[in-house]
Amino acid sequence: MPRASGRDDFGGELPRFAIPPRRIVSLNPATTDLLFAIHAGPRIVGRSKWDLYPDSARLVPSLGDALRPNVEAVLGARPDLVILYASEDNRPAYDRLREQDVAVIALRIDRVEHFDRTARLLGSLTGNAAAGAEVADSVQRTIARVRDATRTLPRPRVFWRIWDAPLITIGRGSFLSQLVDIAGARNIYEDIAAPSQQVTFEDVVRRDPDFILVGPEGGQIVARDPAWRAIRAVREGRVRIVDTTLVGRPSVRLGEAALHLARLLHPDADVR
Amino acid sequence: MRRALWVLAPLVLLVLCGLAIALGPVPLGLAGVRDGLLGVGDANAIAIVRAIRLPRLVLAVIVGAALGMAGGALQGSLRNALAEPYLLGVSGGAAVGAVLAFGAGVRGAFAIPIFACLGAGASVAAVLLLARAAGGRADPRVLIMAGVIIGAFANAVIMVVLANAPPNTVRGAVWWMMGSVADAGWPQIRWLGAYVLVGAAVLLLMARDIDVLALGEEPAAALGLNVDRSARRIYLAASLLAAATVAAAGLIGFVGLMVPHIVRAFGIRRHRALLVGAALVGAALVVAADLVARTAMPPAELPLGAVTALLGVPFFLLRLRTLA
Repeated sequence: MPRASGRDDFGGELPRFAIPPRRIVSLNPATTDLLFAIHAGPRIVGRSKWDLYPDSARLVPSLGDALRPNVEAVLGARPDLVILYASEDNRPAYDRLREQDVAVIALRIDRVEHFDRTARLLGSLTGNAAAGAEVADSVQRTIARVRDATRTLPRPRVFWRIWDAPLITIGRGSFLSQLVDIAGARNIYEDIAAPSQQVTFEDVVRRDPDFILVGPEGGQIVARDPAWRAIRAVREGRVRIVDTTLVGRPSVRLGEAALHLARLLHPDADVR
Repeated sequence: MRRALWVLAPLVLLVLCGLAIALGPVPLGLAGVRDGLLGVGDANAIAIVRAIRLPRLVLAVIVGAALGMAGGALQGSLRNALAEPYLLGVSGGAAVGAVLAFGAGVRGAFAIPIFACLGAGASVAAVLLLARAAGGRADPRVLIMAGVIIGAFANAVIMVVLANAPPNTVRGAVWWMMGSVADAGWPQIRWLGAYVLVGAAVLLLMARDIDVLALGEEPAAALGLNVDRSARRIYLAASLLAAATVAAAGLIGFVGLMVPHIVRAFGIRRHRALLVGAALVGAALVVAADLVARTAMPPAELPLGAVTALLGVPFFLLRLRTLA
């Protein structure tokens, strides 16, 4: 774990603050959502245009993209802590900000367990360690409860449609695949290690999932486009519309998201 | 008319440089910009001016000058108003080098440009070999056709690599292929500057040869020029300029195409003057395009290559009309 030795996911040393940071720039929907949950939201002075949750995040000025951010706009917000997503795309901005002596950390939040350590880390960095631990524990408790409730149920096989044209689904590297597992089901593409992968329609037909998971917009496409009727689950009406506001980010609503999926996939089981 | 270029071009470039330092997504005010340049006062303004806007401006100047000169030399020596590094497959080769490096997990501002230069070198070699196999001589039409073919092949290679690359690397490569000077830093600028100085010096020393080649191959041979050797050297020097810019700033099209036309519109024909003029006008053009790219819709940035293409295509359609 990089966190334990006091380094971020780009290998940089974590900053130490004599007084907690007062001007935070968070360019990642997951960390912005989390900062609000641990009562550091009012200290955010800049977010990315994708950071739209919770609703109060929309009142924070947008500094543009989360990948390859506009470094000048970030500096213009006069931050004392910048939180970036640890993608190679962000390495130039990360190096540039470090050269300017701005405290910056790059965090990879792709998995359920990444969220747990990020919640605790940002809690202690912002001086809200108790709140950070509380959010992390609460998510863990909900997830454990859902896992227990679905343990003895049959495990339906699920295809999660992320995108058409090209057809993109989730592999086992995605937190969504973890959520499917926690909710007592199996991702038919859990053999793929990547978080997401382009697949062919034929192969989905061949794997014959029990359920199709899809967002509200995709749900209309699946309902209307006759091509989807090649899949048995579609013909037999087992398409489930996912609440994208819950599953969109691996953040404070991970527990709720797992519960939501469990209820969609086990409608008769009364999972609480 | 000619004198107008030597007054106008430096003046316009200077004004654009001033604007590039003064304007950006963060309003600094004139005092803030002055303090930032002098390195006094607000640390934030100093960082924005000295660490972001200044290197970016210098990179844009070098990239524009190099692309302008490469275009001028190629259009002259190949006697083709459409000649530029993109048409000749050089940029495509550089892009293949960089994308392959991305795909193989190579990272960093120093490593990627080296692979881009290797890719450009490979495509130059391939174009020259193809041209020799097809024509045996430095026939400009054969060279351009060979360049187009190698460029198409490069595109195909890039698409195959990207189709199987993980999303993180794809995004980086795609962004780089759209052209940008946003990641400008001093080490990279020094590195690019060295290459551009070498390429520019070679072209300026060979400016007389370009003048003679521009008359046509037979007149050039009749005037005692070793046509094959001169054309090849000019081609290699121009390719070096283009590959270095692609490595530093990605694919920025149409600059090499537009700039020589602008310079010739001032009545300049001799290539020593044309190359110097093309460097000035090219620099001004890329600085202006980058200014548009980063101020048009802040805080988002437009890809620089898209801005130059938006400027370049209408310009070129107009030129085609007058040429036809």
